[in-house]
Amino acid sequence: MADLKPILLVEDSPKDVELTLAALEQCQLANAVIIARDGAEALDYLFARGIYENRKTADPAVVLLDLKLPKVDGLEVLEQIKKDSHLKGTPVVMLTSSREERDLVRSYSLGVNAFVVKPVGFEQFFEAIRDLGMFWAVLNEPPPRGSVPRP
Amino acid sequence: MSETLASIADLDLAACAREPIRVPGSIQPHGALFVLDAAGVVTKAAIGALAAGIAADPIGRPLADLLPEEARRIVETLDTRLVAGRGAEHMGFVRTEAGAFHLVAHRSGGDIIVELERALGDEPGSFDEVYPDVRAFLDAVQRTSGIQALADLAAREVRRITGLDRALIYRFDEEWNGEVIAEDNGGRLPVYRDLRWPASDIPAQARDLYRLNRLRLIADAHYEPAPIAPDGGTVDLTYSVLRSVSPVHLEYMRNMATMASMSISLLSGDRLWGLISCHHLDPARVPYHVRAACEFIGQVVSMQIAAHEASALATRRDALRGVQGKLLAHMAAEDHFIDGLLAHPRDLMALTGADGAAIVAGGRCTRLGEAPPEAGILALVEWLSGEDREDVFLTDSLAAEWPDGAALKDMGSGVVAISISQIHDSYLLWFRPELVRTVSWGGDPAKRAELGPDGLRLHPRKSFEIWQETVQLHARPWQEAERDAAAELRVAIVDIVLRRAEEMAALSERLTAINKELEAFSYSVSHDLRAPFRHIVGYAQLLKKFEGERLSERGDRYIETIIESAISAGQLVDDLLSYSQMGRSTITPVSIDVAAMVAEARTNLTMEGDRHRIDWRIGPLAPVRADPVMVRLVVQNLLENALKFSRDREPAVIEIGSEAKEDEVVTHVRDNGAGFDMAYVDKLFGVFQRLHREEEFEGTGIGLANVKRIVERHGGRVWAEGELDKGATFFFALPAA
Repeated sequence: MADLKPILLVEDSPKDVELTLAALEQCQLANAVIIARDGAEALDYLFARGIYENRKTADPAVVLLDLKLPKVDGLEVLEQIKKDSHLKGTPVVMLTSSREERDLVRSYSLGVNAFVVKPVGFEQFFEAIRDLGMFWAVLNEPPPRGSVPRP
Repeated sequence: MSETLASIADLDLAACAREPIRVPGSIQPHGALFVLDAAGVVTKAAIGALAAGIAADPIGRPLADLLPEEARRIVETLDTRLVAGRGAEHMGFVRTEAGAFHLVAHRSGGDIIVELERALGDEPGSFDEVYPDVRAFLDAVQRTSGIQALADLAAREVRRITGLDRALIYRFDEEWNGEVIAEDNGGRLPVYRDLRWPASDIPAQARDLYRLNRLRLIADAHYEPAPIAPDGGTVDLTYSVLRSVSPVHLEYMRNMATMASMSISLLSGDRLWGLISCHHLDPARVPYHVRAACEFIGQVVSMQIAAHEASALATRRDALRGVQGKLLAHMAAEDHFIDGLLAHPRDLMALTGADGAAIVAGGRCTRLGEAPPEAGILALVEWLSGEDREDVFLTDSLAAEWPDGAALKDMGSGVVAISISQIHDSYLLWFRPELVRTVSWGGDPAKRAELGPDGLRLHPRKSFEIWQETVQLHARPWQEAERDAAAELRVAIVDIVLRRAEEMAALSERLTAINKELEAFSYSVSHDLRAPFRHIVGYAQLLKKFEGERLSERGDRYIETIIESAISAGQLVDDLLSYSQMGRSTITPVSIDVAAMVAEARTNLTMEGDRHRIDWRIGPLAPVRADPVMVRLVVQNLLENALKFSRDREPAVIEIGSEAKEDEVVTHVRDNGAGFDMAYVDKLFGVFQRLHREEEFEGTGIGLANVKRIVERHGGRVWAEGELDKGATFFFALPAA
């Protein structure tokens, strides 16, 4: 189990971080959760540079990516991931604050694997995280190209 | 036959236009003419009546040497006395072996033209002799008012002082046809009063000459012209008093049985307005001083006419300007200037003195007063916009400009049209009805010339029998002031339209800015307001999960309430956002299978847990043409409502059906639920309007507002019928696919 790939959570709101962690905890996933508080930090982790230059942890099993982020926003992080030959297979779940934002993500069609409108109700949020998190984190395998599961 | 006549007429016209009437190369024989060079030497001459009193060959000799002592002194002073650019001037009276002569001279280029006109028995006369007549005329002019009275007076006075048989006041119309408007007749010649004469009787070239030389006399229609030699054809006789006229004209006079004629030009400003035209049965000469008096009378009449026309125009203009001022005020008072015009048809028609008017804008035609039928007006507008024309179209005879216009003659023989917007083919039109008149011509105007017996030479017509013509398809002519009023109104309207357009542009700019602000606002609401609600719910649920066991029952209820309230607040934010999005997003209409959409919504809704029995009665549903994303929301919403309000019924009956009309489909959703009181039906579709208490039926009060907004953005309608506790039916009409 030690070689389980971590989940990378990119989220600027500490409250959302805490709630997401609580949800992941309830899924009883064994994966470590790495938290990046803005887009730049997320890219640093993904490309093993800056403070993550010598990271020992593996590339993430799944990236839970908030859309609206300080410094480098979620769409740009997504673009960087999908442009990189090494990372482009990593599943990315976009977290959006409203349905309007979901439409925005859809229009970019940058190869997002799923998106979740953060529901107001925690229970729904929990369910969404569990479904998506379980799917990729537990399988521990990036999905084969061309067969992208939809939520 | 008529074609032959027409071609003869054309030939005639062309021949007259070519006729060298200014340089005929000869003079009338009752005098002599000499062309002198700068040194006073004769270069050309027509001896004529002077033959007996002068050397046979005067060419190359100073004129002074050829004439008697008395004349010589006059000739020697000519160079200093004559002013260039004036007409012929009377320089003196000379007696020669051949008789007594008036010496008249004028400058022509570098030459001086000297004319000797044989005096009549009692000459030299003096202006003093006619002065009392002229003074009496001037007094009488002061007392007349109107052009007709002036014309009557002038005819009477000219005939009296000349003693000729007939004096006519002849007035040109816009096409240069002439009409006799006044006549004084001694009884020896036919009466021509009220007769009209075709324009070709006095061709353009002759009219031009009349403008320059104000008096012309033909003493005897049978005269033999005296040729000017050498090169007589190069001498410009524009200002000559003895100028010989065209042989065609002499033939015309003989045909008319008038042996002598005199005409005096009447001008209004620079324009030839008409003639005082005198005729005599026998050959006749009019003494020089009498002609001078007639010329003076002609000038007085001309000035009076000009003053009268100017004042009539000014009066009409003033009146129309008053009307125009009123119209502008009406237009300014309304949101759309057309409404201002429509509300005051009388002023609109008064602007041009029309009997009817119409406004055609945006394909709509509004008729005012005595206007032709709508179909005719629309056809006229189509014809008007098809041609490249000036801003103001004006005609007294629409049928003459546009053959189809004959159909509009009863009310629209006369038309003034102004284009008020080129983009939309918008026109303002005024109409005048046909005015059938009988016009009497002095002879058939079509037969103004005929071929002679040789079959080649043209002869002026011989018949002056009154020829009556009924003029149809013509209206009372529009006046210059009326035309100008229409043109000025057009300028004013274009100004108003432009100003409105600028205002609209400014408004639209402001709206765009406000819209942007609203978008930014709603984005920030969606993002920033939603998060705190989420956090409240999330933390409350965590608290309940981890600390729930330590809470009292009351504490537990409090937490539940916190969670519910925050969830419903979040829901409210979501609904509001979707409502604002419906107003902004663009519509992409496609053909929609409503039946499939209903089935899909039904599956979604029943999955969500309502376990009670529902009796679905779904009829055939006609497809509609609309934006599928939006219509899905409508269907979803109405079905959701139907389910929600009938959940207490056992079974709930939900009926969905549609009725295809001509170009729309009315779809309805009926339930047997809680229904509503029709008294509140107006509130049903408003934002945040609820007809039930929240504890009865949950909801934010935005759903139906959204339905209404979506349907109306498609140009459709929504309405509802209901009865308390019996159920409700919601209808929506959308364009048919």
